Amino acid sequence: MSGLLFNTAFAFYVAGLGFSTLVFFSKKTALFRIGVITVGVGFGLHTGFLVASAIETARFPLTGLRDSLAFFAWTVSLCFFVSYVRYRIRALSTFLLPAVAALMLGTVFLKASPITPMLRSAWLYVHTPLMFLAYGMFLVTFVAGVLYVFQERELKNKKPKTFYYQLPSLTTLDDLFLKFLVAGFSFMTAGLLTGIVWAEQDWVNGWHKDPKVISAMVTWCIYLALIYLRLTAGWRGKRAAVVSMAGFLWVLFTYLGASYFGGLHQF
Amino acid sequence: MEAYTSSSPIAPFHKRSGETSNMHPVLVGLSHKTAPIEIRERVAFREEAVASALSTLRRDYQLRESMILSTCNRVEILAQGGDDKEAIHGIKDFLHRYHALEPDSLERYLYVLREQDAVVHVFRVASSLDSMVPGEAQILGQLKQAYAVSGQAGAAGTALKTLLPSAFRVAKRVRTDTGISQSAVSVSSVAVELARKIFGSLKGKSVLLLGAGKMAELATRSLVRSGISRVFVASRTRARSRQLASLFGATSIPMGDLEDRLPESDILLVSTSSDSYVLGPEAVDTAVHRRKYAPLFIIDIAVPRNVDPRVNQIENVFLYDIDDLQSVIGANLRERRREAELAEEIVLQESERHMQRIASMNLGPLIAGLRGRIEEICLDQLDQSRQGMTAADSNRMEQILRRTARRIAHPIIMEIKAPTQDPQRRLHNIQMIRQAFGLDKGE
Repeated sequence: MSGLLFNTAFAFYVAGLGFSTLVFFSKKTALFRIGVITVGVGFGLHTGFLVASAIETARFPLTGLRDSLAFFAWTVSLCFFVSYVRYRIRALSTFLLPAVAALMLGTVFLKASPITPMLRSAWLYVHTPLMFLAYGMFLVTFVAGVLYVFQERELKNKKPKTFYYQLPSLTTLDDLFLKFLVAGFSFMTAGLLTGIVWAEQDWVNGWHKDPKVISAMVTWCIYLALIYLRLTAGWRGKRAAVVSMAGFLWVLFTYLGASYFGGLHQF
Repeated sequence: MEAYTSSSPIAPFHKRSGETSNMHPVLVGLSHKTAPIEIRERVAFREEAVASALSTLRRDYQLRESMILSTCNRVEILAQGGDDKEAIHGIKDFLHRYHALEPDSLERYLYVLREQDAVVHVFRVASSLDSMVPGEAQILGQLKQAYAVSGQAGAAGTALKTLLPSAFRVAKRVRTDTGISQSAVSVSSVAVELARKIFGSLKGKSVLLLGAGKMAELATRSLVRSGISRVFVASRTRARSRQLASLFGATSIPMGDLEDRLPESDILLVSTSSDSYVLGPEAVDTAVHRRKYAPLFIIDIAVPRNVDPRVNQIENVFLYDIDDLQSVIGANLRERRREAELAEEIVLQESERHMQRIASMNLGPLIAGLRGRIEEICLDQLDQSRQGMTAADSNRMEQILRRTARRIAHPIIMEIKAPTQDPQRRLHNIQMIRQAFGLDKGE
């Protein structure tokens, strides 16, 4: 059951991505609505998949890298919906939907990992989703930063092209950037705190030497610095976009790379 | 079954001109695309002369319906009166005589359109696809006015009353479904568009006028209309400054205060008569720093320019001179033309639909179909109860039922045939009957 749900969700995401790409080239807005609805169905099925596999295995489906990729895809697609409904920026789909599809595709190449006793903890249900929600929001922040730079460049060069007509105002993009930055940072802070409490309870000792923990702390500092510079020194545009890109690359490293150096994190 | 169902495939119209010719006006005209201004101005109709021209068309040329659309870019006559060829000939003759032109001198400038071609053309004109600036809003108003004048003069009949309301509807659809009229194509509207691209909503934003030319006044007017809350004016001529201040409820400030005021302005509109730069990178850099790098939009519409172009290199500052505004207008026009391609598809699709609707008004097959269908329903009932009837009874019964069927059909047919003032309503009735009796099956 859950496998079927996952595959159909994947198919709907890909179809939605196809529609939104078509819109980018043909500008038929009616198609875009179909695309968003298609992605919405995909998101519903994906949610169904999470529920179904939780019931089937009697645990939260987030115990290995494979599960986590699928869950990350779910948070990105959730963030896409929240940001799209609030801001109606079509170009968001051009960047976020491929990310969703790529994450879903990633799961195909991985095997489900067995659950370790360590993960049999209620903290798993809090710490991990908070972190992945934060990651999804940081991705939106990054995309908003890039879109801001695109729009800024067209306004500076005075030669309106595609982005000028498709993107909203700089203020709107900046607002999207800042809201998702602050929200992502808050979720990450909560995620780190719950992680620390969990580690204090169950981890024998030396959790602060875990590569993933250190890496996550660096990520947190990058975003803290970005918020500080944005609010006090008015960093926006290219500078903010570059920092948010660095932040998100570090997120990816923390997520996928840090375990290479060992440590207790399964993923 | 087949024998009774009416089918009306959409055949080319000229083949059925006997029944439907009165539904399509012919169109003769010239426009900026076919005729130079010297010709257009000679053929134009003065507004107050249109009504009498319409009555001439009816009296001297036997055109039952007619409408004259005369703008600076086009003169078009839509008319309907029996035979298309005669109508076309009549309109041409009228145009030459009315404007006292040599016979046939207009021939090379005129276009003649009939049937679906005329429908498409009227739809395109209404949707502003045939305009010099695609998407401009004026032409629709002018067309509505021309239609109203024709109606008042008693020159609008079924043909025009079917076509024009459809055209207005299509124009509305084009306007809402495509971006053809969205991007700005004048200097002051481009200024507003750019301000919106930078700030989003203009509510709570302020504009500072430096110098106060006519163009600056126009741009300010557009900005204020779009929600700008505060206007400051700094001008060397005190009187002009005060005049503008009262016009926009603006605050007049001395030129010397410029640098203090700059940080709190979001938009700076410069148009002094100075021969050199009045604003350089240093002053703007300071202002932007004090603004905490919130974006600053500077419009320099002075010639020669008043703001050092290097200002544009400062982060979060967007400096546009008059040429830059023009280049945005150029890009927006290209954008409108791209949107116009989508609009052309809509027009084509709508013209097909219009032709189909007209075809369904073709009464002959409809009446036959309706009679047949009712008879079929009655006889079907008889078939189910024929058992146990003698042949004679059955025959008599059948005759009674056929008569009943005719009597049921009669009032409905009278209703369809009744002359009505409102062709849209008649179309609606016909479609309802077609649907209710399933007359569209097999199409």
